[in-house]
Amino acid sequence: MKEGKGAGGGNDIQWCFSQVKGAVDDDVAEADIISTVEFNHSGELLATGDKGGRVVIFQQEQENKIQSHSRGEYNVYSTFQSHEPEFDYLKSLEIEEKINKIRWLPQKNAAQFLLSTNDKTIKLWKISERDKRPEGYNLKEEDGRYRDPTTVTTLRVPVFRPMDLMVEASPRRIFANAHTYHINSISINSDYETYLSADDLRINLWHLEITDRSFNIVDIKPANMEELTEVITAAEFHPNSCNTFVYSSSKGTIRLCDMRASALCDRHSKLFEEPEDPSNRSFFSEIISSISDVKFSHSGRYMMTRDYLSVKIWDLNMENRPVETYQVHEYLRSKLCSLYENDCIFDKFECCWNGSDSVVMTGSYNNFFRMFDRNTKRDITLEASRENNKPRTVLKPRKVCASGKRKKDEISVDSLDFNKKILHTAWHPKENIIAVATTNNLYIFQDKVN
Amino acid sequence: MEVQKEAQRIMTLSVWKMYHSRMQRGGLRLHRSLQLSLVMRSARELYLSAKVDAHESEPPLPPALSPDPRLHPPREAHAAAEAAAPDGEQPFPEPMDTQEAPRAEETPARCAPRPAKVSRKRRSSSLSDSGDAGLVPSKKARLEEAAAEEGLSSELRDRLQPPPAQAEGAFPNLARVLQRRFSGLLNCTPAAPPTAPPACEAKPACRPADSMLNVLVRAVVAF
Repeated sequence: MKEGKGAGGGNDIQWCFSQVKGAVDDDVAEADIISTVEFNHSGELLATGDKGGRVVIFQQEQENKIQSHSRGEYNVYSTFQSHEPEFDYLKSLEIEEKINKIRWLPQKNAAQFLLSTNDKTIKLWKISERDKRPEGYNLKEEDGRYRDPTTVTTLRVPVFRPMDLMVEASPRRIFANAHTYHINSISINSDYETYLSADDLRINLWHLEITDRSFNIVDIKPANMEELTEVITAAEFHPNSCNTFVYSSSKGTIRLCDMRASALCDRHSKLFEEPEDPSNRSFFSEIISSISDVKFSHSGRYMMTRDYLSVKIWDLNMENRPVETYQVHEYLRSKLCSLYENDCIFDKFECCWNGSDSVVMTGSYNNFFRMFDRNTKRDITLEASRENNKPRTVLKPRKVCASGKRKKDEISVDSLDFNKKILHTAWHPKENIIAVATTNNLYIFQDKVN
Repeated sequence: MEVQKEAQRIMTLSVWKMYHSRMQRGGLRLHRSLQLSLVMRSARELYLSAKVDAHESEPPLPPALSPDPRLHPPREAHAAAEAAAPDGEQPFPEPMDTQEAPRAEETPARCAPRPAKVSRKRRSSSLSDSGDAGLVPSKKARLEEAAAEEGLSSELRDRLQPPPAQAEGAFPNLARVLQRRFSGLLNCTPAAPPTAPPACEAKPACRPADSMLNVLVRAVVAF
């Protein structure tokens, strides 16, 4: 039962292992921990950022479509050091080089552009190819040394000759010194000229061409910091309306703001909040309601939020409750105390939509990730593991046994490995290709192509 | 009793996490600090409600014990808070920040040349007003009244009448228990730095007039 490309339901698809990138050994170097994953607008390029401040870009091979058994493989296209550790002498604090987010700009010319950010500084990188070089200068030798003009007896026209492909990354803009707190999100506006950056208390609006100033559009810092009760956890521009953006909070609310309403969008246009279920109230209720990610659907009609235990889909026209709620790992609700002890309760999971907005995906523990089909209401749990590392091996669905008798092939909650967490996932914008980041490996899965 | 123990354990754990998060690269994370302080507050509320249920008629503490912690001004912790507070509020890295005025008001209170114990006494005076006088030793209350008569800035006064959610204070018993347990916890953790930090962290916990929440909030503000 094969559905059309890009419209596949999460469960009618058979997901197959395609590739895995990264070191094999279990001893994970901290710098190699993947901290963000993002496809570009065409899906041809896949960027990852890590804790060491490096960005690695993979490019999909252009396959011979007639003979392809699977879609093209992703191979390393460019690697560069985006951010370095810095030291804030004023606060005696080290600024981590970890890449928090990468966002691609739509392609306008031969070069590719992306924004990458650490806790304090956003950088615009230009990635360009060089596959030819000029040869045959009259006044210069091939190695660059200048020739004595008196030795030139004939003239020739320099020509471009092919060379081995070189991919160069150069920083074109550096947007610094605008955030006191730690940057958690960047989002490019649909006007492709401006973008926003959000930290714990403020959101700034930038123009891509201007680095020495930005506009503050949201400021939730209280006059007295002792009255602080919530922080901004994520922010995103609407995919179609260039005046609209949303930001989520640590209290589980989402605010939609319209930049046309006023210069400072402290007053929201809409407030999305679900009343708390009193039966679920517990000691840690407040902190697990914190939203770790917010993503608009491609259509712009819906947005998805991820909190510790669930994924919620909101209709922008309905503020009082989400239209759909999916439990990611409800079996953890009774383990919150242990998860607080081992700090796992603070993990920030991301979520993503497929190209047609029919399936959503998010990560969990034990290197499991989950997909929810919004149409069929079916869900599936898969594992990113090197054990299924033969290409085109179909992934076997996993099941966690919450309590009681464990069936064969089920895994009990107590044997889950909480050190193996999938926080970052990405879905190709057009095809059923997904990128799933474990601690230091990047897995690429595709749907089975016959 | 079980509930009390569990709540205490979680409070201690939270303070340890709070301390530990200051040591990590990148400095204090505001969101994490806020979450830790929320758990701390819930644990404290749980502890207090369990305590009230279990010990309706607890004998008042010997007065001699209460002034001691205050007479050991926690210079380290306070200095650390002082050092950190202006940093968090510096206009230098914030070209877009327009809230200069409140910041200027906040920092003098923290870098106050007046002795630390005065501000702590002030805070507890509002606590005794909130009706928990039965658990506060009388001698401490007298010292607080003396402090209340001193002329302090209105800003400080405002800070001492915080919103109800933050108005509750830790009680000497709780503070002492935390101090005992917390320094014990730090001393036996191999990863923790040996001498200075336990002393540093124990002191804020043992300040009887301060609420744990205020300590944490101060750490949050200091960031």
